[in-house]
Amino acid sequence: MNMRKTAALLLAVTLCSVQFLWAQTKTVIGKVTDASGAPLANASITVKGSRSGTASGADGTFSLSVPDNAKVLVVSAVGFEAQEVAITGSLLSISLREGDSRNMDEVIVVGYGTKIKKDLTGNIARVKGSEIANTPVANFTQALQGRAAGVFVESQNGKVGEGIKVRIRGAGSISASNSPLYVVDGVPINSDPNSGNSLADINFNDIETFDILKDASAAAIYGSRAANGVVLITTKKGRAGKTQLNVNMQYGTNKPTGYRGFLDAKEYVDLLREAAINSDNIEGVDPLDPAQYPGSWLQFAENRLTRYSGFSDWRTLQTNTNWEKLAFNEDSKTKLIDVSASGGTDKTRFFVSGGFNDQDGILFGNNFQRISGRFNLDHEASNKVKLGFNLSVARTIANRVADDNEFYTPMQIVALAPITPVRNQAGVLYDRPTTTYYNPLIELEDSRYTSTVFRNIGGLYFNYKVTQGLVFKSEFGVDIQSQSDDRFYGARTIIGQSTNGYGEATWFRRFNYNTNNYLNYTKIFGGVHDLDATAGMSFQSFTTDLSFVSGEDFPVDALKKLASAGRITGGSTSTSESAILSYFARANYKYDNKYLLSLSGRIDGSSRFGKENKYGFFPAVSAGWILSEENFLRNSDFISFLKLRGSFGLTGNDAGFGDFAQLGLWGAAKYNNVSGLVPTQLANPELKWEKSAQTDIGIDFGLFDNRLTGELDYYVRNTRDLIYNVPVPGTSGFATQTVNIGSMQNKGFEIVLNSVNVNSRDFKWNSSLNVSKNKNKITKLDGDQTLIPGNDGRYLNSLIVGEGIGVFYGPKFAGADPANGDALYYLPDGKTTTNDYNDAGDFVVGDPNPDWIAGLNNNFSYKGIELSVLFQGVFGNQIMNGAGGFMSASFDWFDNQTRDQLDRWQQPGDITNVPQLRLGYGNGIGASSRYIENGSYVRLKNITLAYNLTSKVLNKLKIRSARFYVTGVNLATFTKYTGWDPEVNTDYRAGNRNQGSDFYAAPQIKSLTFGINLGF
Amino acid sequence: MKIIMKKYISIVMILAVLVSSCAKKLDLLPQQSVAEEVALSSDANVKKVLNGAYDAISSGNLYGGNVFLFSELLAANDEIRWEGTFNQPREVWLKSMLTTNSFVRDIWLNAYTTINISNNILSAINVVNTADQNRVKGEALFIRAAMYFELIKFYAKPYSAGSVSTAPGVPLVLTPTRGIDQSSFVPRSTVEQVYTQILSDLNEAEGLLPNTNTVYAAKPAAAALLARVYLQMERFGDARDAANRAITVATANGKNLAGTYAAAFNNSANSVEYLFGIQVSAQDGANNMHLYWSIPAYGGRDGDVSIQATHLALYSAGDARLALFYVGAGDTRSGKWQQQYKVLPVIRLAEMYLTRAEANFRAGTSVGDSPLNDINRIRNRAGLTSLGAVTLADILAERKLELAHEGHAVHDLKRLRLSADGFAYNDNKMVLPIPQREIDASAGVLVQNDGY
Repeated sequence: MNMRKTAALLLAVTLCSVQFLWAQTKTVIGKVTDASGAPLANASITVKGSRSGTASGADGTFSLSVPDNAKVLVVSAVGFEAQEVAITGSLLSISLREGDSRNMDEVIVVGYGTKIKKDLTGNIARVKGSEIANTPVANFTQALQGRAAGVFVESQNGKVGEGIKVRIRGAGSISASNSPLYVVDGVPINSDPNSGNSLADINFNDIETFDILKDASAAAIYGSRAANGVVLITTKKGRAGKTQLNVNMQYGTNKPTGYRGFLDAKEYVDLLREAAINSDNIEGVDPLDPAQYPGSWLQFAENRLTRYSGFSDWRTLQTNTNWEKLAFNEDSKTKLIDVSASGGTDKTRFFVSGGFNDQDGILFGNNFQRISGRFNLDHEASNKVKLGFNLSVARTIANRVADDNEFYTPMQIVALAPITPVRNQAGVLYDRPTTTYYNPLIELEDSRYTSTVFRNIGGLYFNYKVTQGLVFKSEFGVDIQSQSDDRFYGARTIIGQSTNGYGEATWFRRFNYNTNNYLNYTKIFGGVHDLDATAGMSFQSFTTDLSFVSGEDFPVDALKKLASAGRITGGSTSTSESAILSYFARANYKYDNKYLLSLSGRIDGSSRFGKENKYGFFPAVSAGWILSEENFLRNSDFISFLKLRGSFGLTGNDAGFGDFAQLGLWGAAKYNNVSGLVPTQLANPELKWEKSAQTDIGIDFGLFDNRLTGELDYYVRNTRDLIYNVPVPGTSGFATQTVNIGSMQNKGFEIVLNSVNVNSRDFKWNSSLNVSKNKNKITKLDGDQTLIPGNDGRYLNSLIVGEGIGVFYGPKFAGADPANGDALYYLPDGKTTTNDYNDAGDFVVGDPNPDWIAGLNNNFSYKGIELSVLFQGVFGNQIMNGAGGFMSASFDWFDNQTRDQLDRWQQPGDITNVPQLRLGYGNGIGASSRYIENGSYVRLKNITLAYNLTSKVLNKLKIRSARFYVTGVNLATFTKYTGWDPEVNTDYRAGNRNQGSDFYAAPQIKSLTFGINLGF
Repeated sequence: MKIIMKKYISIVMILAVLVSSCAKKLDLLPQQSVAEEVALSSDANVKKVLNGAYDAISSGNLYGGNVFLFSELLAANDEIRWEGTFNQPREVWLKSMLTTNSFVRDIWLNAYTTINISNNILSAINVVNTADQNRVKGEALFIRAAMYFELIKFYAKPYSAGSVSTAPGVPLVLTPTRGIDQSSFVPRSTVEQVYTQILSDLNEAEGLLPNTNTVYAAKPAAAALLARVYLQMERFGDARDAANRAITVATANGKNLAGTYAAAFNNSANSVEYLFGIQVSAQDGANNMHLYWSIPAYGGRDGDVSIQATHLALYSAGDARLALFYVGAGDTRSGKWQQQYKVLPVIRLAEMYLTRAEANFRAGTSVGDSPLNDINRIRNRAGLTSLGAVTLADILAERKLELAHEGHAVHDLKRLRLSADGFAYNDNKMVLPIPQREIDASAGVLVQNDGY
């Protein structure tokens, strides 16, 4: 401490002493540090039982005048455990431990403020950045999987950096968004990408905490945007003191979680011929009779076999290609480097970081790279004024592969015949007509599909302390997302083939700016009435611009940009805007640290709705009772903490259905190279937001001196006025109209248990378990309808009152007719069967919504060795293979078949679920329960073994910390699903209703990485 | 205290300014779309809507190809084969359509979308400049009639099957949709009622349309379509007269048979022979006949439709129409649809000669010209020698070869009461099902076809 500071302290002591004499108060001075001794700025210091308090300065010091009779101070800081400190002596030295999500005194981020966990009356799940740091995945939502109760995360497939479904307490909407709102340091960000995944732009090693607002009272402060929950992301802040430097490096390999298995060459030839002969026999033809052979199905099939064999001979099974293996990149690697520095002085603190992430997908040609940087700065201009900014920049480059339903996506390679050689004798990849379909490997050699995203998320804040207890806060933030998708398909590709190459470029820019301006007032009246009130406004505006140009005819495949195109064949630009204006207020009241009450309300105005329904009101109320503060429990040895809480509130949903769904619209058309106008949308001026009313009842408890803590919650969320594109008679000239119809319910409970099993000096073992059950149910459609069936020939996702969203509703498969091998379905009576698919009855034959999700994490540490094991599970859902009609289709066509087809019906009396093989006859290929399977699974999601160098060695090496670790992701999966991977929802159709569908979707990525983390 | 008051006031003022300026920003309008009132508000706009109607009818599901493909597949008779991976057309080829067949659904939806656009134009016809009102109205009526004609042919029993006054046709919607209410749930009219409407629209259109109209529908196109309708109804005298009017007006205005048979196809602009064709370019339009019938080398799919030897055997040596077939992607292909981005002919003048010949022959007349002359005109263009006399069988055989794979197959088969692949012309399975989504959305008003 330098002379000037000492003098200042002395002066303060002197002044305060004077005050003491005069006002019967005393002054406490002290310093707050973290465990390593670094000063902690901005820690809150209050007298226990009162709100009079202060915050520590940049150097961690504080001075507070307290009543003479005050005995205990409460010191808290974001990310740290709050601590009670007895007022002894005049200079307190307080060292805070880093927050532990299990601790009741942790400071939790809520909308427009913070709160101590103990005082929460709503349900907020916290995941700390440090828990998921260094997980080798592209997107933080993947890293959150299994770590928070009630938060369901599902990657659509194993493409790196692509679509991920996140549902907090189930799906609330049919046509609007079911994704939570993501708020980074106060800025609601864009999470709806043009393509790819907007959340992959965030380097989650920069994140301090995730606070997931799940119930209505926690979320309602975000009003019309909160119906699907809110994820508040707080990035790391600097602390005054010596600058700390962290370096993290990781290297690893990736593999698919599984292979499906297809017929080999011999099986393919045998079964295909069998199918052809069966088809001939149906038509009364005996193709084995040379006279009847010409024109037979068998001749047709054998001609194809010859064609598919290329230079080789199928009769001798010369070629036996395992195409499935070729879809995957044998040499898939992950490389990660993260560097960060933080520190600062009295008044100014900073956190800067840079990261580089280069992850190969498991599919050939699939890769994701991110370069990111962050600069967070906090400055105290005076006692009254604080300001600062958070700024992140990122560039991601994804080398992408086509959607699952495209012939040129890698996984569709499995349809090719095993008798087909990969290359001809000149070494050139075979294509049609030698391959059954387009050979996707050509894409790897002759196409490019690159998405480049530049992303800035940043915000400025300004806090002004008006008077004691009253603070004005103003925030301004932007999220700038600029994405270019560059696609090129050379002259050998399926797209570029006929036009001598095809290229297209799409530029997408979404700009959103946001301002929050609010007042916060805190005061304790009479020592026991603790009030914390917030009121203010917020405005956010979104502008999306899209430009597109396409061309064809490229001189050589090396020239991939449209500048080289012989013809520009298409181009367009478009713009869409929306805005939302909000007023909000909240009051938290606490009486005697025992009774908690919180009221909040928000009024939202949205440009997305018609004049009559532009504004909506979203109130919430919640209450809590901390029983453990009552005399009858205060001294319990068994119960260390017990709180009952309950909440009720309304939240809304205004996202995910377009910006102008309420208007009757006409849009441009084109014919004969002349523009035209056509009706595109039916008007609905009464369109309004969906409203969710959620009730939550919970218990928070801590037992045995908080060795075992937990939360139990029961909730009911009723969503009404669902926005839905309801099918209308096509004779109207329209297929759908966007209307508010019906309602939906999510009901469930959540259990969170955390325990310290062993806590000896050398060996520690902690466990945390979360289990959630959610039951989703459509409670009303439009009142008249109870059923909107969804059988589109491949999938069965339907909307049925009384059932979960997107249940599979359609024919129930009854196996193969033992008499003749016909595919059988149940008639509407459910007992008798028919071989005519059109006569089959419709039944609920599966549900894509899981009943239960769970996560179990165990952390062990012994001296410097740490082991962390996370299991994650999903239970009670079904998956439908929409590609069943191709790949498990009794050889309906020439697609290679899954191995279960070997178990086909062959002769009268055979009892099997695989109907007789019939080429071209569609025996059992209609969408039915035949293609539905149990999708439950348990997965070893993450296992990390780490070794930290001892301080002795560190001192010798003159470094602060060093950690060596091995992380495995998705190393083992336990499931009965026979497809590639039970965590699936094929990308090309994924939506609220279209869930649980598989269609050549890549399995998830299984990875093993080695890492080093050094601190200086 | 004063200072504090000032602070409060300034904060409140900042908030007030922010709020008032933000509230205005909630009134946003789309930039890619306009409201209905705008779309139908002026002469220029209604004409743009008319071009939009052509865009709608040119959809790949309609005149952009699928209605022609379906006609050929239903009447395949082992002369063509669907070998593509899509099972929707395969179901049609095998006459085993599921009610959920998405192609069947989209033909229906797109046809009614087109009809609604026509109804919008007709509702706003008074906005159009007087000088152009007849033409615009005639085109809208032509488009509406064309769509009802496709719907009635595919989704109802053929006219030749009789009981037309009771047999269910398709719903008739003749006014534009402004919203969904009870009147939006329209039941099926009878086959007779739908045909009556089509005749009424086409007769009116023929009267209103000009003799020529660039690539858009003109008088000969309406007359030609009328001839097709009468032929379906087996009103041969009317068919003959309509065909004759189409020929007369067309030839008087520069139309003629193309110099060679091959020249009648794969054209970047309308051939001299086209009375109506769908315009396709790299920038715009769909040609699904090319997509499914051509091969990868020419930008098609995998050669989804192959031509079988049984069909090729129908031609005599030296027939230019035989020479147009080619071998590619492992099989024989129709050369009519070989090239990408080419106009898709909907009505060729040749068809009118064949219709006139047949109708004249059946009526025992020679209106316009004799059946023999009309048939020889077609044969000579195909490089074949003239016949000395013709029979009905000759005329029908000539018609089949001349118009092969252009979407006439199943409609001719039905009116001639023939069968395809063992299915009689009036078999339930020769009719498409009403799409399941339509049954589901109709609140019980729509009745499914027999056999589904």
